[in-house]
Amino acid sequence: MAVRSIGEYKFPSRSRQELYGDDQLVHLWWKGNLWFCAAACFRAPKAMSWNDFVAGMVNPLFSCDPDFDAATTTFTWTVDDKPVSPAGDESLEALGVGHKSLITCVAA
Amino acid sequence: MAAPRKLSMKQRYAALTRDLDWDLSYVDEDTAYPYTSFEGIKIHDWSKWEDPFRLTIDAYMKYQAEKDKRLYAVLDSFAQGQGHLQLTDPSYLNAMKLFLQGVTPLEYQAHRNFAYLARFLNGPGPRFAALCQSQDELRHAQTEIHTLSNYNKYYQGFHSWNHQHDRVWYLSVPKSYFDDAVTAGPFEFLIAIGFSFEYLLTNLLFVPFMSGASFNGDLPTMTFGFSAQSDESRHMTLGLEAIKFMLEQDPDNVPIVQAWIDKWFWRGYRLLALVSQMLDYMLPRKVMSWKEAFELYFEEQMLGGLFPDLAYYGITPPRHVEHAIAEKEVLSHQVYWTLYQFSFAAGFTTTVPSEDAQKWLAEQYPQTFEKLYKPLWDKASAVVDNGGRYFYQGLPQLCQVCQVPMLFTEPGDPTTICQRHTEFEGERYDFCSDGCQWIFEREPEKYVQAWLPVHQIYQGNCGGPTVPDVLAWYKLQPGDNGEIAGNVEQTAWEAWHATSSAEEQAPAPVAGN
Amino acid sequence: MTQSTRARQVGVDIQETEENRAVVEAIEADNADCAVRHMPGLVRITSPTRIVVNRESVEQRLGREWETHEFQLAIVSYFGHIAEWDDDQILIQWDH
Ligand SMILES: [Fe+2]
Ligand SMILES: [Fe+2]
Ligand SMILES: [Zn+2]
Repeated sequence: MAVRSIGEYKFPSRSRQELYGDDQLVHLWWKGNLWFCAAACFRAPKAMSWNDFVAGMVNPLFSCDPDFDAATTTFTWTVDDKPVSPAGDESLEALGVGHKSLITCVAA
Repeated sequence: MAAPRKLSMKQRYAALTRDLDWDLSYVDEDTAYPYTSFEGIKIHDWSKWEDPFRLTIDAYMKYQAEKDKRLYAVLDSFAQGQGHLQLTDPSYLNAMKLFLQGVTPLEYQAHRNFAYLARFLNGPGPRFAALCQSQDELRHAQTEIHTLSNYNKYYQGFHSWNHQHDRVWYLSVPKSYFDDAVTAGPFEFLIAIGFSFEYLLTNLLFVPFMSGASFNGDLPTMTFGFSAQSDESRHMTLGLEAIKFMLEQDPDNVPIVQAWIDKWFWRGYRLLALVSQMLDYMLPRKVMSWKEAFELYFEEQMLGGLFPDLAYYGITPPRHVEHAIAEKEVLSHQVYWTLYQFSFAAGFTTTVPSEDAQKWLAEQYPQTFEKLYKPLWDKASAVVDNGGRYFYQGLPQLCQVCQVPMLFTEPGDPTTICQRHTEFEGERYDFCSDGCQWIFEREPEKYVQAWLPVHQIYQGNCGGPTVPDVLAWYKLQPGDNGEIAGNVEQTAWEAWHATSSAEEQAPAPVAGN
Repeated sequence: MTQSTRARQVGVDIQETEENRAVVEAIEADNADCAVRHMPGLVRITSPTRIVVNRESVEQRLGREWETHEFQLAIVSYFGHIAEWDDDQILIQWDH
């Protein structure tokens, strides 16, 4: 159903990808860990490598959890519900991460 | 000569709403009232709208003046008697800060939109009722500002509420809620605000809030709350009249009204998530739990009382209401846990609930608190014991519709966060719940425009890329935000009470505003 | 939603003040089946049938004239439907 309005009603998304240039929004969810009240939202370059993503975004956030240890905590990953096994220099885009994608991890 | 016989209430009301109205001769009705047809609501006879209060201008002015007189008498004695020292604890004021930042601007918005209804509804009865409500809402905005300004002299966080309403992440929740309502047509607005908010849900906001004020030594807030709420019963009546009027005018109106009830129940309920934590966590002396308030004011009164009445017209209880009922066990805990980790960017402060408070929570929530939330608080306490304080190092994913961080869990599974998504014109959108997803999918063109604070920060529209840039843009001052313990407000309070002998001078204001 | 078989309550919340005590007493006297609960700052009156406020009963207890419009100063909230509000009486009950 469309909006009922007094005139034409058509506006662009206020968060469309083009507003972020070569970057995109990426969501990161540590499933099953309620220490984090919600998944995080990052702005990340599409070409960012998985290693850079982990070092620059994942680890700083997860380190707020005193039980997390970047050296020993291991995860299984999905991107938008599809299992992935990310390799170090693979880009986010190559991994299938799109604008506002959800990257989910579960502690192994 | 005998004095002229006084008109009865009925006669006076009829004189005001009928005798002072006239039929238009130089323009047709659609030109004079251009906004009451595009929503599809069919009205055949506007004169069928009756205001049960039978309010006339003389009575309205007389009693509103009396209400204000009573309120200002309390404010005077509060200021003269150093009333700000009578609170149970300064942390109580966090609830008031949230109220002033989140709700007071909505009163003003309500004032504006009811003024629009007072001009653009076809019938004189509803126009006059809308005019009274418009003036009421302006009075609410003014008296709330005036009342709480008394605290601004002594406490943090009261100085830039209006600026913050348009900018700060959690305040986009109430702001976007009302923006959604005022950009709808007049009939949807009546269902959204008049019915769903004022009748269905307002008791959950105001009554516990005023009792909380009364219980925590905040006499002025209690008084303005009651003063505002006495108008609220008229607003509730207008909302109930509005819905019955629409339902009675034409059977084709029923499905339209039902969809609005479905939408606006869920919109309002998500907004009240902020109130749930206020009741369970922010008040130092507790009044009643969110769960109890929800059962009393919503389940008993509305599902048990109102909806059987509306069933006569073919109206059913709101879609997704079962999720709200199930959530009453977990809602407030999840919301406060979120505010705890993000209060570095809020206009209020948070802390780990005290041992007594946790005991009370465990009693109120025997199924959930000790099992699910106490372990988290224990872990947060351990961080504090080690000299730290847990704040989330990042920004949260937001729901496209309610704009609350996506903190809610799956129905029936309080350990898994609820993630819903939909694609519209090639772009992905995220939702916190089935309710919000349903609302989006009904009117995606509306919600793609959402000003989501997190996305706006990333687009560079909020003062700069770093957290301090954004906080400066929010106009947060030291002491407004973060942790309660050790806050300037807390230390000033302790100093005042340590030296409160009769000869002692009034404490000096601490807030730099 | 299952329709509960218990009575459908109506209710009114009244601000707890000196003057309103007369109003509350009048309501209690005129509504045999009502229940009264005191909460911080307010009095909550509920009834399984209906609640009626009679001008004369209030005036008797106040010892002065009282117009039903004055009830606006007392009421904090209600649930039910205002079925009648005239010079002599206010009646709260469900319609259907
Ligand atoms: Fe209001
Ligand atoms: Fe209102
Ligand atoms: Zn939502």
